[in-house]
Amino acid sequence: MRLIRVTKRTEPLGWGSVLVFCAALGLSLSLACAALAVQGVAPLRALALLWEGGFGSVWSLEDSLRKAIPIYLCALGVSFTFRMQIWNIGAEGQFALGAIGAAWAVLTFPHLSAVALLPLMMLSAGAAGAFWALIPALTKVRLGVNEIISTLMLNYIGILLLNYLVYGPWRDPGGRGFPMTMEYPAAAQIGMLGGTRLHWGLVLCVVLSVLAWLFLNKTRLGYEIRASGESLRTARYAFMPYGFLVFLVMGICGMLAGWAGFVETSAVAHRLQPSILVGYGYTAIVVAWVARLKIGPMALAAFLLAGLRVGVEVLQLELRVPAAFGHILEGLVLLTVLAGQFFHYYRLRLEWPGQRAEGR
Amino acid sequence: MSPNPSPASLALDPTAIPPSDPPLIRLEGLSKSFGPVRASHDISFAIRPGRILALLGENGAGKSTLMSMLAGRLQPDSGRIFLRGEEARFDSPKDSIAAGIGMVYQNFMLVNRMTVAENVLLGQEKHFWVSPKAMEREVGELTRRFNLPIDPGAGIWELSMGERQLVEILKLLYRQSQVLIFDEPTAVLTPVEAQHLFEALRNMAGQGKSIIFISHKLEEVLAVADEVAVLRRGELVGHWEAKDIQSKEELANRMVGRTVSLEIAKDSRMPGEPVLRVEHLTGPRLDDVNLVVRQGEIMALVGVAGNGQKELVETVAGLRPPGSGSVKILGTDWKAFFANPSWKESLSYIPEDRLGVAVCREMTLTDNFLLTTRQGFCRGPWLRRKLARQTVAEKVAEFNVQPGRPDMLAGRLSGGNLQKLVLAREFYRNSRLIVAEQPTQGLDISSTEEVWRQLLQAREHAGILLVTGDLREAMTLADRIAVIFRGRIMDDFPVEDQERMKRIGLLMAGSG
Repeated sequence: MRLIRVTKRTEPLGWGSVLVFCAALGLSLSLACAALAVQGVAPLRALALLWEGGFGSVWSLEDSLRKAIPIYLCALGVSFTFRMQIWNIGAEGQFALGAIGAAWAVLTFPHLSAVALLPLMMLSAGAAGAFWALIPALTKVRLGVNEIISTLMLNYIGILLLNYLVYGPWRDPGGRGFPMTMEYPAAAQIGMLGGTRLHWGLVLCVVLSVLAWLFLNKTRLGYEIRASGESLRTARYAFMPYGFLVFLVMGICGMLAGWAGFVETSAVAHRLQPSILVGYGYTAIVVAWVARLKIGPMALAAFLLAGLRVGVEVLQLELRVPAAFGHILEGLVLLTVLAGQFFHYYRLRLEWPGQRAEGR
Repeated sequence: MSPNPSPASLALDPTAIPPSDPPLIRLEGLSKSFGPVRASHDISFAIRPGRILALLGENGAGKSTLMSMLAGRLQPDSGRIFLRGEEARFDSPKDSIAAGIGMVYQNFMLVNRMTVAENVLLGQEKHFWVSPKAMEREVGELTRRFNLPIDPGAGIWELSMGERQLVEILKLLYRQSQVLIFDEPTAVLTPVEAQHLFEALRNMAGQGKSIIFISHKLEEVLAVADEVAVLRRGELVGHWEAKDIQSKEELANRMVGRTVSLEIAKDSRMPGEPVLRVEHLTGPRLDDVNLVVRQGEIMALVGVAGNGQKELVETVAGLRPPGSGSVKILGTDWKAFFANPSWKESLSYIPEDRLGVAVCREMTLTDNFLLTTRQGFCRGPWLRRKLARQTVAEKVAEFNVQPGRPDMLAGRLSGGNLQKLVLAREFYRNSRLIVAEQPTQGLDISSTEEVWRQLLQAREHAGILLVTGDLREAMTLADRIAVIFRGRIMDDFPVEDQERMKRIGLLMAGSG
């Protein structure tokens, strides 16, 4: 006598997926609260603070949006590679290289005007990020090296490289020994939007989203990327330029992650320093998966996870919750949302005893 | 659709089968729809122990849906299944296996690196510790009881397709399945292996099992079945005793719903320039292959599967570099030809594996059509999907792909319609060399007829290399036949050569 029956879905879920997503989010939040309660923190107060900190005021909304920008750029990047089933988890390292590339431009040409310097920073940041992503692409295509391992390893190398530069050759002599470059001149800082605390990086995100959508849905290369992701054997059969496509998606991802690094150093930190590396590249993977690689939902998920990050910072201050709580929350969101995708493929039917004659 | 022919011999009442034993399994009004598509509608029949029921029907007639409901992979929208008189319901394949219903699918589910006995007992081990000897002894007893000629200690990798099928049967027998369902069991077998299978089926029926086997090969249905049930468009159109059926033509008409000829006319024509020239090709599984295909002719390459056909085809299609020797396509050397293959008026490959290679199931018909024709729908970097959609709508109608909505996922198409989609795409390219690998495998009569007609029509402007294991297909279509055995072309002759045609069987076995 069973009450719940699991059957395979024959029709797509449609709007129900929004419901599933909200339920998963609710579940992850309640699990996180339970963990807090065990620690002796009042869970309802924590929830209220989380909301207040992340989404409750104009100030916190602005803060969340500011954090969402680099996360979203990285997520957009990795979604290109995931679409082709290239498991690139190296956005964090590519982000670091982008920041380094932008810093190089500033430190080399500190006296250029903004019109010249900002495009130059963008160019060098994109190129540095793409270069970092093309290394694993090359080893994968030529030598068959697993990209999961190589991109992960390059993250550490990229982070160490950044540390080396700010502790060594690029350290600001007037910085009283702190590991950071000099503050960027005004010409190297991305301006703010009107009277808000939001910068032009947001506009960059919108423009890039439109371009990415056009590229993926309207061009031949976008089609080939999608088809190659569906089946490698079919891609070979149809003579898709598979190796070239791997380079292309990795290059695009590296460039976008590099630009995230550029935006973050130029508009938020105003200098190169190790504290810009707070795991946006990893959060981006969560964002891409949670949104099932779709551009609109990725923007929403990036905002949401950025808001949780901001909210957790408030929790840290007010309730002395450990910093690791943010990672726990992020992990829970990913796990519950992925688990919720079960409902995209299966449906549950409730049945009461006696409704049907017993089988067997 | 025209009114169904109903000759007296077929106009039997379904209830006319004498109810001597109680049925082992009985279906009552089983229905299943997928959205607007009615895959099964109000199907009722019963099968008694010791009987072999052949379930006939065209692709998309609902055979697979019906069997999936029995195997617990799909759940009926309405209707009931009775097992030994008691109502049963299956929510998963597990339930139906536990109830004694076993299914042998077309694609075998075996672990290649394990032995026969290990595969049979996989998941059924009685203890934590397993002894290979005891396993082999147990499986050995089973093979003797049902008289199945197979060594329990042999590795799956050593076995022929026919023997692998026996392993699948052993798995079911070990689980004490009472109802055994076979989905087109002879599709992968040589004629001799098929005969062995039929003996095994009769043997199992003789021991009280009920057997359902799905097919659209009329000869074998009439040869082995006790009862025949015909499905058309999701409905059961008849259920008869096999001995009451007079001719296969009548059965075919009943199945298709219109008169079919079973013969296809072909005129001979003058072959033109060579479009494929293979000289002294040697490599893995290939031994000094020489072959010429000319424009305007169909060259059938026949042989038992695994004698180098795959390697030869993949080389010609550009998926595998040639070893030593030379391959010239349309007069160009292999390397130069595939350095920059043109999509139009060049080479088309229709692979055996439709869902794994030729088509992506998660993409729409339009996107699948674009796989090999995308260069023709480009304007600069942009892909002209609207134009492609229009073309697909036209082509799909021309090739009778059903249902033929351009935005539908290809995975929703049945095997025959999938193949027609592939043909529509490949013929759109006006290729001058067409490599068709088992183009009608798994297709029903009307789809086969359509595919054959299309291939003959394509002969007008192209040379065709037809790789097939089906001699009837080779004889119907080909102008010349080449026989391959262990990577060697044994002989190569025109179909008019009666003397050599008679020796094909011997050549396929390596002698003569």
